[in-house]
Amino acid sequence: MTTIKLTNINKTFGKGLSKVHVLHDINFEANKGELILVLGPSGSGKSTFLTITGGLQTPTSGTVELNGKSLTSASKKDLEKLRLDKIGFVLQSYNLLPYLNVREQFQLVDRVKKQGNLDKKRFDDLIMTLGIEDLLHKYPSELSGGQNQRVAIARALYTDPEIILADEPTAALDSDRVAEVGKMLQELAKEKNKAIVVVTHDLRLQNYADRIYHIIDGKMTEDKATTETKEATEQK
Amino acid sequence: MFLAIKEIKHEKLRYGLIIGMIVLISYLIFVLTSLALGLANSNTDAIKSWNAQSIVLNKDSNISLGQSIITEDQAKNIKLSSKDAYIGQSSVVAKSKGVDQISATYLGIDKDQYLYKDLKLTSGHKATKAHEVVADEKFEQSGYKLGDKIKLNSLKDKYTIVGFTKNAKINVAPILYGRISDWQEIKGMGTTLAASAVVSQNQKTDFSDANLKNYPIQKFIDKLPGYSAQNSTFTFMIAFLMIISLIVIAVFLYILTIQKIPNYAVLRAQGIPAKVLIKTTIAQSVILVISGLVIGTILTILTAIGIPTSVPMSFNIPLLSLVAIGLVLTSILGSLVPIRTILKVDPVEVIGG
Ligand SMILES: Nc1ncnc2c1ncn2[C@@H]1O[C@H](COP(=O)(O)OP(=O)(O)OP(=O)(O)O)[C@@H](O)[C@H]1O
Ligand SMILES: [Mg+2]
Repeated sequence: MTTIKLTNINKTFGKGLSKVHVLHDINFEANKGELILVLGPSGSGKSTFLTITGGLQTPTSGTVELNGKSLTSASKKDLEKLRLDKIGFVLQSYNLLPYLNVREQFQLVDRVKKQGNLDKKRFDDLIMTLGIEDLLHKYPSELSGGQNQRVAIARALYTDPEIILADEPTAALDSDRVAEVGKMLQELAKEKNKAIVVVTHDLRLQNYADRIYHIIDGKMTEDKATTETKEATEQK
Repeated sequence: MFLAIKEIKHEKLRYGLIIGMIVLISYLIFVLTSLALGLANSNTDAIKSWNAQSIVLNKDSNISLGQSIITEDQAKNIKLSSKDAYIGQSSVVAKSKGVDQISATYLGIDKDQYLYKDLKLTSGHKATKAHEVVADEKFEQSGYKLGDKIKLNSLKDKYTIVGFTKNAKINVAPILYGRISDWQEIKGMGTTLAASAVVSQNQKTDFSDANLKNYPIQKFIDKLPGYSAQNSTFTFMIAFLMIISLIVIAVFLYILTIQKIPNYAVLRAQGIPAKVLIKTTIAQSVILVISGLVIGTILTILTAIGIPTSVPMSFNIPLLSLVAIGLVLTSILGSLVPIRTILKVDPVEVIGG
């Protein structure tokens, strides 16, 4: 079953002369076990696409379905619960509360979502992979941009969500770290059977993706070439 | 609570300043209320200490003790019970060597009647002989001592302070309790005057004289010169102060909440339920206001201990608690005003693409 399905999504902002058409007839699918990359330049509509997919904003037209359920008709409360339980969001900026240290960011999750979060062992593995095990007592303002992003990734994964939506998660990371994060996301998709969508302009992540979409000026196309070569290599 | 406390701890300066403001406001309200009440009490302390329910005055006295006289002839028409007592009032200026003169009220009372019997002293003894008086503590605070001889107005005979008592002020003037026969002497009209009034612990004193009239004690208190005017001035002053303070506090909490919108956006994006955000906001306001109130109360108590006894200050705990509860409630309201904004916060707008 298709886990995420966007059909004919359009998004416009503003009215009259100042009206901007940001997304044009977008069709998109992602399944469990896949790591999908959406590549596009700045201003192409990547963040808009991702936040619509996660139910943070509503499309002007079109439908979003998660696990066969329509998001466009869901109540605010349902969307909230969905975000807490099923979706892990890594936003482009502002992912952490400034007045909680790193450890407390996770404690907050424990307080509102009592079950299904990572156990101690998987949490320790996660922070090791992301290299943030020494930062647990620090506040976001004491972290570098890259460290902030890694903590945000860890926080998104902490609830063990089925769907992970990440906006430029590697923008401030060096190549070694990008490789590690790429591998980790790939493994998560494969081994834990999650649907992972990463929107980025970071080409370094290309190698880890199962499928790639391109978005330019709000129009999305699937990169069949990569998909086919990938499938071919996998079959060999 | 978790978020509320973590945030306060992390933003010490900002929250410290807000608590400081609440401290000052609550301190101001507490002290002013207590001062106003203290002044009101110094008008009525003595009357309250009599436990009287009614008073008989001359009907042409405009309900003023100073203007009222009961002549011997009229007194014959009064049937005093054991709960009634004569008082003879006269304004006097008390002087003694080495101490400041004091404007006082001389009250002559009869040693066979309840006012005399119920009079409680803090030191010394009651006036048993002629030209002896029991004085209000104000005299003691001004340096008068037991055994001091005082001169009243320009009378020849000196009076001796034989005892001190507390809460004996009427219309802010300290009282000298003496014998009613001495009062007749002070008045200088011989024995034609029986008293100024009859106070009674009953609803009514039994008399049949067209020139006398019975009044409920509250009516008498309200007619004390300046009393009502003073009270309504203070009541309005404090009420306005309260209302304005409450608005100021509510506005501050509102601004505080608005400033936190980016944080709320993060939480909303993460799917933290709106309920948690609302609880946090309310918890935070309550924590701030209660900390402010506690410190304000401590300051008020310190002030009460430190302030000279000549400044009347009276603490009405129920009234002050009411003020405190009012502050807590409005602060909750103040923090609830922006809740719609919190609930409608669009994470995307704040977080940006
Ligand atoms: N709330 C809004 N109102 C008006 N225009 C908006 C709004 N949000 C986004 N846009 C516009 O939509 C377009 C796409 O924005 P979006 O944030 O999705 O781009 P992006 O691909 O994420 O860019 P970047 O790589 O810089 O993050 C931009 O031209 C932007 O100005
Ligand atoms: Mg973006």
